[in-house]
Amino acid sequence: MAVYRVSIDVGGTFTDLIGLDEENEELINIKVPSTPKKPADGAIKAFQLFLESVKPEKVSVVTHATTIAVNALLGQLGLEIPRVASVSTKGFRDILEIGRQRRHELYNLSIQKPRTLIPRQLRYEVNERLSARGEVLESLNKKDVHALAEELKQRAVKAVAVALLFSYMNPKHEREVEKTLNEAFPEISVSSSSNVAPEHREYERTSTTVVNACLIPIVSVYLNNLASKVRKIGVNAPLCVMRSDAGLATREAVVEKPVSIVESGPAAGVLASSFYGERLGIKNVLSFDMGGTTAKAGTVQGGKPELAMEYEVAGKIHSGRIIKGSGYPVRFPSIDLAECSAGGGTIAWSDTGGVLRVGPISAGADPGPACYAKGGEEPTVTDANLLLGRLNPNHMLGGRMRLFGDLARKAIEKEICEKIGLELVEAAAGIIKIVNSQMAKILRIVSVERGYDPRRFTLTSFGGAGPMHTCALAEELHISKIVVPPSPGLFSAYGLLTANFTCNFVQAIMATTEKIECHDLEETFGMLQRRGEETLAAQGVKPENMQFLRQLDMRYFGQGYELTIPASVPLTDRSLQQALKGYHRKHEAIHGYAREEAPVEIVNARLTAVGLVKKPKMKEQRSCGKKPPKEALLTKRSVFFERPGGFEETPVYLRERLKCGNFLSGPMVVEQYDATTVIYPGWEAEVDRFGNIILRATEGG
Amino acid sequence: MVDLVTVEVIKGALIYAAEEMGIALRNSAYSPNIKERMDFSCTLFDHQKRLEAQAEHIPVHLGSMGWAVREGLDHFEGLLEKGDMLLFNDPYISGTHLPDITLIAPIFSEEEVIGYAANKAHHSDVGGKAPGSMAGDATELYQEGIIIPPVRFVKCGEVDRELSALIMSNIRTPEVRLGDIRAQVAANLLGERRMKGLAEKYGIEVLRETMTQVMDYSERMMRKEIEKMPEGRYEAEDYLESTGVTDELVKIKVAVTVRKDGLKIDYTGTSGQAEGPVNAVFGVTLSGVYYVLRCLTDPSIPMNDGGYRPVEVYAPKGTVVNPIHPAPVAGGNVETSQRNVDALLKAFAQIVPEKVCAACQGTMNNVAAGGTDAETGGPWTFYETIAGGFGGRKGLDGVDGVHTHMTNTMNTPIEAIEGVYPMRFLRYELRIDSGGAGKWRGGVGVERSWKLLSPSATLSILAERTRLAPWGLYGGKSGMKGEFLILKPDGTEIRLKPKCTVKMKKGDVFVARTPGGGGYGNPLERSPEEVSRDVVNGLVSRGSARKDYGVVMNPETKQIDWEATRRLREDSA
Repeated sequence: MAVYRVSIDVGGTFTDLIGLDEENEELINIKVPSTPKKPADGAIKAFQLFLESVKPEKVSVVTHATTIAVNALLGQLGLEIPRVASVSTKGFRDILEIGRQRRHELYNLSIQKPRTLIPRQLRYEVNERLSARGEVLESLNKKDVHALAEELKQRAVKAVAVALLFSYMNPKHEREVEKTLNEAFPEISVSSSSNVAPEHREYERTSTTVVNACLIPIVSVYLNNLASKVRKIGVNAPLCVMRSDAGLATREAVVEKPVSIVESGPAAGVLASSFYGERLGIKNVLSFDMGGTTAKAGTVQGGKPELAMEYEVAGKIHSGRIIKGSGYPVRFPSIDLAECSAGGGTIAWSDTGGVLRVGPISAGADPGPACYAKGGEEPTVTDANLLLGRLNPNHMLGGRMRLFGDLARKAIEKEICEKIGLELVEAAAGIIKIVNSQMAKILRIVSVERGYDPRRFTLTSFGGAGPMHTCALAEELHISKIVVPPSPGLFSAYGLLTANFTCNFVQAIMATTEKIECHDLEETFGMLQRRGEETLAAQGVKPENMQFLRQLDMRYFGQGYELTIPASVPLTDRSLQQALKGYHRKHEAIHGYAREEAPVEIVNARLTAVGLVKKPKMKEQRSCGKKPPKEALLTKRSVFFERPGGFEETPVYLRERLKCGNFLSGPMVVEQYDATTVIYPGWEAEVDRFGNIILRATEGG
Repeated sequence: MVDLVTVEVIKGALIYAAEEMGIALRNSAYSPNIKERMDFSCTLFDHQKRLEAQAEHIPVHLGSMGWAVREGLDHFEGLLEKGDMLLFNDPYISGTHLPDITLIAPIFSEEEVIGYAANKAHHSDVGGKAPGSMAGDATELYQEGIIIPPVRFVKCGEVDRELSALIMSNIRTPEVRLGDIRAQVAANLLGERRMKGLAEKYGIEVLRETMTQVMDYSERMMRKEIEKMPEGRYEAEDYLESTGVTDELVKIKVAVTVRKDGLKIDYTGTSGQAEGPVNAVFGVTLSGVYYVLRCLTDPSIPMNDGGYRPVEVYAPKGTVVNPIHPAPVAGGNVETSQRNVDALLKAFAQIVPEKVCAACQGTMNNVAAGGTDAETGGPWTFYETIAGGFGGRKGLDGVDGVHTHMTNTMNTPIEAIEGVYPMRFLRYELRIDSGGAGKWRGGVGVERSWKLLSPSATLSILAERTRLAPWGLYGGKSGMKGEFLILKPDGTEIRLKPKCTVKMKKGDVFVARTPGGGGYGNPLERSPEEVSRDVVNGLVSRGSARKDYGVVMNPETKQIDWEATRRLREDSA
C-alpha cells in the first residue's frame, strides 16, 4: 500500500501541492490559485483535488509553508494584530518604541516609524534589576506582578510579552513573572524573552518576544483551523510547518513559537536547492527564485543553506537589502535571502528625466501584464519577454492562457518609446537588461558580499520566471553551470518534502576565551542538548534520528557584531582552539583581516537539534541518447539575445518530451507547463538522469 | 553618448558599490560608534574629483564629502600612486570636524586614474582636551584633538607605521582607532575593486562618459524641481543659544532666492565666528543646504555633483557658518548644522509650505564620558547622541523619540554598554508633554539617565535647545526644551549648561531630557480622539490636553467630556 507524504506551499499567486509516493517515488503535482483572504481554503481545495486519486488514509504526513505570519505583520488580509501587553524593567517600557532611535529614510520629512505593535498604554513595568553579569541588584517586586495580573485581566489582552533587562544572563525574574501570570490568567499565552530569544541587545530581544506574542493568537487560529479542515476531509496525518531556518516543526511546537515561521514561504525554495545540490554532488549553490512580483536569492554553502541570525519582518527593501529600522527585528535563524521587486509583473516606466526605470511597482496577478488582456496598460517584464520572442503567446500554463503581443507592444510604445525616444526592441531589451541588473545585485549580495566567489557556485533557477533570465544572470556573475529542475514552478513545494525537523537553543556566554573553562562550556552544550532531545522526542523523532549541531557566536572583544562558528562534540581545549582559528579565518574571508593576537569573546553558545526525515530518492531515468526525439522540437521562432545581431532564429522544444541524456546547444527555448527556459548562444543543455536541465557555458562567459 | 540602458545599469552598480563599501566598513569596524551607530559615509568620485555616488548614511557628511575629496587632493602636494591612500581630518580641508577621519584612495585602471573611493567615519576619540574630542568649551581647534593634514597613510598598500604611531600617540584609545581605520581602508579597497571591474567590463571611456551623463541627469532633474518653486527672495533666521564659552545668542540668517535658472542661498547677516566650538566649517553648511534640498525635491534624484550644480551657496568668511582657522569647530557638525537646517526650513516654509515640518529637536544631545577603569587602570571613553522629537507635518504627527535631520546614528544597546562601561542605566523612556501642541503634534523627546559606578569621570555635553525651544508652524506650539542634570547621592540637583565639561563622582546620576518637536497647525483643531489617545498613552498630560488642546478628559472614566470640550474650545477660539 502506497504511503504519501504531502507538501502544501501557499504562495501569493498559486497554492502548490505535491504528493510523494514513498514506495515508488512517483510525484503527484497540483497547482490551484491561492485564496489570499482565506489561505486555508486554497490549501484544502488542492488537497481535495489530490484526494480524487489517493485515499485520505494513505497520507502519512502533511508539511506546509505559509506566509500567514509575515502577512499579519504587514497588516494584510484584514489580519488584525491582537491586543497584547508587554512587561519591562521599571524605566524601560519604551525600548520597543524608541527602537534604535534612527529613521529608516534620511531625506523624507514625512517619515514614520513602523507602527509599534503594543500601544504605550499596554506596556507595563515591574520593579526589578539585574546586572550585566546577571546578578540580582533589585529583587522582583511580587506585589507589582500580582497587581499586574489583575490589571491585564481587566484589559482583556490576548497575549503578554515579558522582556526584562539582562534576562539572557539570568531568567529568574522573567520566569517568576511568567509563572504568576500563568497562574492568575491561564487562558492567555505568555512569551518570555529568556525563552524566545535569550541574547543581548534589549531592543532586538524585546521586539522578537513581542512579535512572538502577537503572532500566537493568529498563527494558532490559522493552523488549528487548517488542521481541523484537513481532518474533515479524512486525513489524520500530523501537520508540520516549515520554519524560517528551513527546518520543520509540528503544529503544536509552532503554535508555541510562531516567530519561528516568519520566513516559512521562501525558506522551502533554498532548501530544495540544497537538496538538489546534495543529490547532484554540488556543495555550493546559489538559489534563484523569480516569480510574479519578487526575485529571491539565497546561498547554499558546503551543502547547507546559509542562515542569518536576525531578520526584520515586514521591513522595506532597498537594493535587495531590508532597510534597518523599517520593520520588526526578529532574532531567529532564518534563511539569509536577498530580494528585489523583480518579477514577471514588475512595471517598466520612464521618469521625468528621460530615463527608463523598472519597478518596484508590480502589476501583480490582477490586472497583470498588459499582454494578459485583463485591463493592465502598463508594460511589464513579461510584456518585454513576449516581444523579444522568449515567451510563447500560446503556451502559458500549457496553453490554458493566451498572451496578446499587440497589447504588450502598445504598452511599451506608449509608456517608453514615445516618452524617451527608444525603438520598440531597444525598449524591450532595455527593460530586460535593467531588471537583470537588479537581480544580479541580489545574487551578488548572497555571494560576493559574503566573501564567496560566484564562479565556484552552481545556480539553481526556479519559479515561473527564473529559467527565462538565468543565462543572462549567470553570465553577469561568471557562473558557468545552471540547474533548471523538472518543475520550476513547484520547486518550493518539493523543498518541503526534503526538510528535517529542527529546533534551536541559545545560551548567552559573554566572556573572552581566556576566561572560559572548556568543561563549563561543554556542560552548557550538554544542557542545551538535553532540551533538544526532549523537544524532538515530543515531536515524535526517534533517538537514532537525532543529530546535534553546536555553534559559537564569536567576536573580537569590543566589536559589535558576531560571527557564528561550528564547535565540536565534545568541546575540548584543542577543539576550542580550532573554533578560534575558524573564527579568524572567517573574519578574514568576510572582512579582509584577522587579528590573531586580539582577545576573542564568546557571545552565545548555540545548538541546533535535527530530527532526520527520510528524503525522497528522486526517480532516475536511463539515458536515451544525446539526440532528442523528433517530436520534442515544436517549432522555430525569432528570439532576441543580448548579442550582436539581436534576433536569432531559435528552435523551441517541449520540456515534457525531452529525455534523459538529450544534449542540445543554445540558442534554444524549452517550454513547459509552468515555465520557459531560455538558453543563450554559448550555452549547452543536457537533460540529466533526474530530469533536470543542466546548462553549461561553453565560452569564457 | 552611452545608451540609456547601459547608463542605468552602471549608475546602479556604482551606487550599489558605495553601499557595499558601507557594509564592509561597518562589518569590520571596532568601535560601537561605527559598527552599531553607523556614523560614516562612503562615496565614489570620477577622475575629475566630482562626486558620483554616495551611500545614504549620515546627512551631515552629504555636502562635505564632495568638498573633502576636492580639497584633500588639492592640498596634498605629493604624488598619489597605486596602492596609496590619503588620510586627513583637518576640518578646514575635510569640511567636517576633527573626529571625522577621511580616507581617499585613487583608483587606477591601466596606469590611469579613473576615479576615487573615499569614506569618512566618526571616531569616538581623536585626542584633545576632553575624552571623546567633543569639548563643549574649546576656544581653538588645537584643543579639539590632533590635526592631520592630508598625508599618505597607506603607501603602496602598506600602512605607514611611523605616521600611524604618531597619530595613535595622540589618541586615547589607539587600539580601537587603528581597528576602525583598517576598516576604512577595507571599504576603500572594495570601492576600488568595484570601479575597476566596471572599467574593465565597459571600458574606461564608457565609464567616464556614463558618470558624466548621470551627473547631467541629476542636474536636469534638480532644475525641473526648482522650476516648480515660486520665484522670489525668502528670508529666515534662527539662533544658537550659546557658543559654549559665552551665553550670547548666535544668529544664522539665510536668504533663499528662487529663480527659474537656479537657487541662491546667502548667509549674509549671520553672526561672526564664535569663540566656542559652534563654528560650522563651510562643508557642514553645504551639507545642510543639500539635505534640505533633497528632502523637498524628488528623492529618486541620484546624489551626485550634478544635482548640486543649480545651487549657489554664499557664506561670508569669518562667520559661524564659514569660520577661519583655527576657530574651534567640534559642535558645528552636530549642533550648528541642525540650526542651519531649521533656518533653511523656515525660509522654505514660505516657498513650499505643504512640504516642510515644524522644528525638530534641533540638537544631537552629544554626551561623552570618560575616565580611568577601576579594574584595569586603562582609560575608557563613551560617546553617544540622544534622540528627540520630530516636528509635526501636514497630515502627520511628528515621530516620537527619533534622530532628526542631520544625524541618524543608532543608540548603543544598554546591554552592550553596561558590560563594558562603569555605568548603570536607570531610565530610557518617552518624555510626557514634550511634543509641541498642534493639529499635528510634535514628536516627544526622551529621558535617558544613568548612574556612574567608577570613582570619577569627566562628562562633556554638547547640546542645544535648552533655552530656545523648537518652534511650531502655522499655529502649532513649540516643543519642550531639553535639560541636563546631575543628581547627587544626597539629593541635590545640579542643572548643567548645554555645553560644558564637568566632573562626576561615583553614585552621581546623569539625566538627559531631550527636546520635543514643534507642533504643526492650531492645536484646537486637533481631533479630541487623538488628544485622548495621547493622554491614555501618557504622551500628553490631562492638564496639557485641557490647556493646550481644549480637550477635557474625565479623570474617572478616562473618556472625553464632549460637552466640556466643546465649551472650552469655543471659549478659547
